[in-house]
Amino acid sequence: MENYLQYIYDSSIFILKGSILTVQLYFVTIVFSIPLGIILALMKISKYKFLKLSIGFYTWVFRGTPLLLQLFFTYYGLSIFGINLPPFTAAALTFVINYSAYLTEIYRAGIESIDKGQYEAAKALNMNYYQTMKRIILPQVVRRTIPPTCNEAINLVKDTALVVIIGMGDLLRSAKELFSRDFAVTPFIIAAVIYLLMTSVIVFFFKKIEVKYSIYE
Amino acid sequence: MKMIQANNLFKSFGQHTVLNDVSFEVNKGEVIAVIGPSGSGKSTLLRCLNGLEEIDSGIIAIESEHYADKNHGGKDKINLKEKKNIATKLGMVFQHINLFPHKTVLENVIEAPITVLKMKKNDAIPLGEALLEKVGLLDKKDFYPSKISGGQKQRVAIARALGMNPDIMLFDEPTSSLDPELVGEVQKVIADLVKEKMTMMIVTHEMRFAEEVADRIIFMDEGRIIADEKPEKIFYNPEHPRIMSFIENIAMRQLIDKD
Ligand SMILES: Nc1ncnc2c1ncn2[C@@H]1O[C@H](COP(=O)(O)OP(=O)(O)OP(=O)(O)O)[C@@H](O)[C@H]1O
Ligand SMILES: [Mg+2]
Repeated sequence: MENYLQYIYDSSIFILKGSILTVQLYFVTIVFSIPLGIILALMKISKYKFLKLSIGFYTWVFRGTPLLLQLFFTYYGLSIFGINLPPFTAAALTFVINYSAYLTEIYRAGIESIDKGQYEAAKALNMNYYQTMKRIILPQVVRRTIPPTCNEAINLVKDTALVVIIGMGDLLRSAKELFSRDFAVTPFIIAAVIYLLMTSVIVFFFKKIEVKYSIYE
Repeated sequence: MKMIQANNLFKSFGQHTVLNDVSFEVNKGEVIAVIGPSGSGKSTLLRCLNGLEEIDSGIIAIESEHYADKNHGGKDKINLKEKKNIATKLGMVFQHINLFPHKTVLENVIEAPITVLKMKKNDAIPLGEALLEKVGLLDKKDFYPSKISGGQKQRVAIARALGMNPDIMLFDEPTSSLDPELVGEVQKVIADLVKEKMTMMIVTHEMRFAEEVADRIIFMDEGRIIADEKPEKIFYNPEHPRIMSFIENIAMRQLIDKD
């Protein structure tokens, strides 16, 4: 029994070490893709046809193809053209581009869901476009898009496991190594628990933000 | 002084002519009620005045400054910057109120003075509080709009428009979205502005209120102004058959509502 507990402990430490990279990739993706999603959404609703179409094409491609394929492309595909990215860079780049595509569409829908009376009231008060977006529209959009953003944030935790295929050591790969060594399912269960803990923290965090933003409802 | 001068305004949406050669004037301190059947172009007229819609042709002058000057198919001769400056003289209150839901009552009122007029927050807060006092809602200043009644919201919206210190107030059916028992409190706030000699144009379906506060009534029908007269004339001695039937209709409806 004691041995088994020790085994769980050692395995957990080993797997957690593997998860450092998962967490790093996670934060890089979140920190870049949320602002990028907002900016691209604003560009997509702008009156410039070329911008609209280019961003439409971008979200079409990146939401319409597997993330795994996109990862292969940046890591292996680009090397054919002499671009050899380190695995972490390739993964971070792919994840940011992929998640920004989803978030762009989420925020675009959010912006379009705001009543046009809000724009008219702001205009009647002589606020310009920038002031209207920054002070009136986007704060309401952020509030409304908390639930879908939370969904993406949870998906991202699980998607980070994909980096295994470009040879990166992450949480899941550490678990897999232990499995191969010990031929026991415990490492997988430990990995599952760690994933669940991470997603729970994220859900908790988003609930907090939601409460903070929902005082006005 | 002429606060608003509109000459030969035309406005179409596609094939549909919504303003058809509209001309009128509003003098300082005058209160104009705009009435007429649904779809006759009343809202569009106000929206063209404050720049929410663009006229196709015609001239609008606000306090003798040209605000829009356009030939059919041509470009507006007034540049955007000038337009913006002149637009600050007009405040507008909407049928659907359109308060900013994520801002408190006080924040709604001081938002534009701070962001547009670049007022210091410390100066804007007393201004906002004074305006809320005026509409009788100082005790609600830290409430969010979702927590107050429709009538209170519309009073906040009036305070918000006044925060920009306009010379002219435009009201588009300010009480139409309210429950009947909340209409009075909003009308009272508007009546207070009348006493202060605020220049106003009020689109309304409340004939009694129009008669009470208006110096003149503009009657619109199918995009035209078919009468621009004193209330007594419109209500008790209308010449135009369209106005007669409109007034009779309304009188009937109000009788039925009373039952
Ligand atoms: N943005 C728009 N696009 C197309 N048609 C419009 C638009 N705005 C108004 N209209 C049309 O213009 C006409 C006049 O509308 P307007 O809102 O000015 O009428 P109104 O006199 O205010 O009517 P109500 O008493 O119902 O408010 C209506 O037929 C309306 O459908
Ligand atoms: Mg209307």
